[in-house]
Amino acid sequence: MVKLNFHDIQGFVARGYNFPHASFLLAEILDRQAGREFVRHTAGRVTSAERWQQGKPPSTLNIGFTWHGLRKLGLPDATLLSFPDEFYQGMRARNRILGDIGRNDPANWEPVWKENVHVWLAVYAQTPDELATRCGETIGLMRETAGARLLYTQPAAAIKIGGQPTSKEHFGYTDGFGNPDYEGVERDTIPGQGKLTADGKWAPLATGEFILGYPDEARELPACPVPYLLGINGTYMAYRKLHQNVARFRVYLDEKGKQYAGGKEKLAAKFVGRWQDGTPLELSPDRADPALVRNQSRNTNFTYGQDQDGARCPLGSHIRRANPRDAFGFNGDLVNRRRIMRRGMPYGDYTPEDQLASDQDEHGIVFMALGASLFRQFEFVQQQWISYGNDARLGSDKDLLVGCHSGGGDKFVVQGAADAGNAPFICGGLPDFVEMRGGDYFFLPSLTALRLIADGAVDPR
Amino acid sequence: MTNINGKAYAMNAVTPMKTWKTPILLAVFFLIGVFKSAQKGLVDLSFIHFARWVVVQNNQFPRLAPEQPEEQLKYDYLLFFSNFNGTWNEYIDAFSAVLSSGLNLIWRWSEKFPGSVPVTAFKRYISLVQFDTDYYYTAYPYATTSDVKAAIRVDDALQEFANRAAGLTPEEFQQSYLQLLVKVQADIGALGPAPMGT
Amino acid sequence: MANQNGNMYGLTILSPIIDDPKSKVSHDSALRLYLQNMPRHAYSPFTKVSGTHFCRLVVMDDVVFVGSPAAEEHLKSKYLVFNSNLYGGLDAYLAEMARKIPDVVDDIWSHCVGYPGVADPSAFAAYMKKCQIETTFFFADVNDKTVEQTLRALQMKVEFTAFIERNQGASPAGLLREFAAFWERVRELPLPPAGVKDLAKSHAAIA
Repeated sequence: MVKLNFHDIQGFVARGYNFPHASFLLAEILDRQAGREFVRHTAGRVTSAERWQQGKPPSTLNIGFTWHGLRKLGLPDATLLSFPDEFYQGMRARNRILGDIGRNDPANWEPVWKENVHVWLAVYAQTPDELATRCGETIGLMRETAGARLLYTQPAAAIKIGGQPTSKEHFGYTDGFGNPDYEGVERDTIPGQGKLTADGKWAPLATGEFILGYPDEARELPACPVPYLLGINGTYMAYRKLHQNVARFRVYLDEKGKQYAGGKEKLAAKFVGRWQDGTPLELSPDRADPALVRNQSRNTNFTYGQDQDGARCPLGSHIRRANPRDAFGFNGDLVNRRRIMRRGMPYGDYTPEDQLASDQDEHGIVFMALGASLFRQFEFVQQQWISYGNDARLGSDKDLLVGCHSGGGDKFVVQGAADAGNAPFICGGLPDFVEMRGGDYFFLPSLTALRLIADGAVDPR
Repeated sequence: MTNINGKAYAMNAVTPMKTWKTPILLAVFFLIGVFKSAQKGLVDLSFIHFARWVVVQNNQFPRLAPEQPEEQLKYDYLLFFSNFNGTWNEYIDAFSAVLSSGLNLIWRWSEKFPGSVPVTAFKRYISLVQFDTDYYYTAYPYATTSDVKAAIRVDDALQEFANRAAGLTPEEFQQSYLQLLVKVQADIGALGPAPMGT
Repeated sequence: MANQNGNMYGLTILSPIIDDPKSKVSHDSALRLYLQNMPRHAYSPFTKVSGTHFCRLVVMDDVVFVGSPAAEEHLKSKYLVFNSNLYGGLDAYLAEMARKIPDVVDDIWSHCVGYPGVADPSAFAAYMKKCQIETTFFFADVNDKTVEQTLRALQMKVEFTAFIERNQGASPAGLLREFAAFWERVRELPLPPAGVKDLAKSHAAIA
C-alpha cells in the first residue's frame, strides 16, 4: 500500500476541493530574485493535501508554473532540459496536435496567452468575501515582493440552481463523475473509478499515473525532471478555458430531439453517456434514476462489455470516448495509462433552461486535467479519442460535445436496435458547441520543490 | 517523413540472434501459425494491416555474383516489418500493455532485448533496432485496418440487402432497411484525416 | 507455405546493392535519392501493379550493434529490401511488374548485383526469386480481398453513410425510391484510384 506524503503534495493535486467559488490567477515573473521571494512567501501559504482536521478552511491556495516561468526563476539549464517536450513547447505550440484549429486556433485565444504567462495560482473559497480576501493577499504579495505581475483573473463558481450550488455545467449536465481512483489517496474507493482486475472487480490505479515519484501502470517510475527532489510529489496540468455555446447547443438539441424517436431528454443523454442528472446510460438506458445517481457504489460502476454495439450507450458518447473502460477489450488494459484527473469549474452566469441563452455571454468551463504525463494522458485522449475515433471504430468522427467541428460535415451516430422507437439515429451537421479560449501546461511542484525553487537550490547533478 | 503514408506507418527492425536460438524462434512461429487463437490478440487490437517476421540465417543473405563478397556473420538476424495505424508511441504502448507475453516470446531470443515491460526500456531498444523506410506505398492511405474491415462489412451487408430488396412493399422495405442500419451502425465512421504523428 | 496467408502473399526480397568504389556516386546513395524522388500516392508506379496492397523499399545499410556483451559485426554488402503485401500469386505479380513498370524496375534494380534487366520476364523472375527470403511468419488482418475489392468497399462505406444521413426520417415510399436511385448510381461509379492520399479530394476529382 503506497503511503503518500500528504504534507508535501499540493492539495489541489490530491483532492477535488469542492468549494463553490474560485479564482484562477495568471501572472508573470518579473525578476529572478524577486520572483523567488514571491515563491518563498507563497510556499508558506500553499495548501497541502493534509487532511483538514478542523473542517474545511475558508480558502485554499495552490500554484503551478509554465516552463518559461521555471526558466525565469533561474532553474539550471540541465533541469529545464529534463522536462518533457510538450511541457517545454506549451499548449499553444502544440495546437495542431490538440486539434485547436479553425475557431480554436491560438490566434483567436484571449490576449493574455500572448503575454508571459509564468504562474498559475488557484484560490478556492467558501464565500465570495473569503475569495476576495485570499486573492487580495496573493496579489498583494506579488506587489510587495515585486516578484510577479498579475496578468489575468479568471473567476469561476459552481452553478447555483434554486440558490444552491450544484455540480452542473452550462449545458445542463451534472459533472464530476468518474475521476480516477489511485493508490494512496485517502478517499472512499468508488467502484468504476479505478481499473478493472482480471475477475471484473475495480482496483485503484498506480499512483505514478497521477503523481511523479511513484511506480506507474507500466511498472516503472515515470519520467521525472532532474533532480528527483524537484519532481517527486509534483504533477502536470493542462489548463483550458472552454467557452460553451449554450444557445447553439440548446437549439441543436431541440431540433434533433424532435426528430429522434426517443425524445430530447434521451438524446441529450446519448450525447454524453449520462442523463443530465448523471444517471449512466449503461445502467439505465431508458430513464434518469436519481436514486442511482445518489448511490456512490453504483453511479459510476459499469462497463461496456455487454454493450459492444452501443445500443445503450453510443460508441461515440462523450464519457465513453474519454474513458473507454473495457470497450476496447483486453479487460481495459489499453485505457489504464490514459486516465485524466479532472478539476474543472464552471465560469460565468448560468442561463436557466426556460430563458433564452446567448452565445455571446461569458460562460463556460475552466477545464483542468492533471497527470504524470501530459503527452501520454491528456494529449493522447484529446488527440486520439476526442478529436478522432479510430480506436473506437468510429473512423475520424469526433466527440460531439468538445470536438472541433468547423468544417461542417461531422456527425454523431446514436446506435440503436431494430425497432422504430429505438432506431439508429444520425445527428449531422455538428456545429462547435465548445470553443477554446486559451490555456497552457503547468507543473505543480511539491512543497519541498517550491522551497528549492525559492532558494535557488535546484541542483541537477 | 517516409515511414508514414496517410494513416499507415511502416516500421522496419533488425535484431541479432545467437544461431542456437533460431530454431526455438522458428518453433514459436510454427506454433503461433498452428494455433490461430494466439493471433487473436493482434486481430482484436486492430492496429496492423500486415506484418511479417523474416528470419535471415547468417548464410542466407542472397549472393548474386562471385564479385559480391560472401557475408561472414556470427549471428542470425530477425527482420520485422509492420504496417500499422496510430502513432509510433500509441502502437508500442498498446503492445506493451496487452500483448507483452507474445512480444517477449518472439524477441527474447534477440540479443539485449530488455523485455516489453516496462515500456520505456522497450521503446529505447526499438529505437535502436529500427531502420527507416525509403519508399512506402499503400493503395489506400486514408483507411485504417479498422476502416477496411468496417467497409467490407458494410459492402457485404449492402449487397445482401439489395438482393433481398427486390419485390418488397415499401413497409417491408423500411423494416428490412432498419435491420440493415442496425447491422452497419457501428461501421459508418467518416474516412477523414488522421491526427498528426507525435 | 509461410509466405502465404489466405489469398495474400508476403514477398520479401533482399537484393545486394552493387559496391563500386570507382563510381562517382555510390549505388546506395543513388538508389536512396531515386527512392526519395519517386512519385507517391496516386502517381506511384505501384498503382499499376494491381496486386499491391502495401509495399516498401528500404536501403538496409547494415545490421545493428546492440551493445556489449553482444558482438559487433557488419554486413559486407548493403541490401535493398523490397517488401510487398500482394494479393494473388508470386509469378503473376513479378510478371506484372516487368510488364507494367519496366522503367521503374530498371531504375531501381540496376543498382543491384546480378540484375538481368526486365526485358526477359523469366530471367527477371528467376533473379527476384534468388533474392527472395522466405517469410517466417506473415500476419494479415484482412487476407481475402483484392485491391479493387477493398477500394470499392471503402467507396461503398462513404456513399452509404452519406445516404443514411440524407434519408433519415424518409417515408417508406420515399426511402424505396431513393434507395433504388442510389443503388443504380453507386454501381456505375468509377473505382476510386489506388494510392490516393485523401479520399475526399479524389471524390471531388471524380465528381
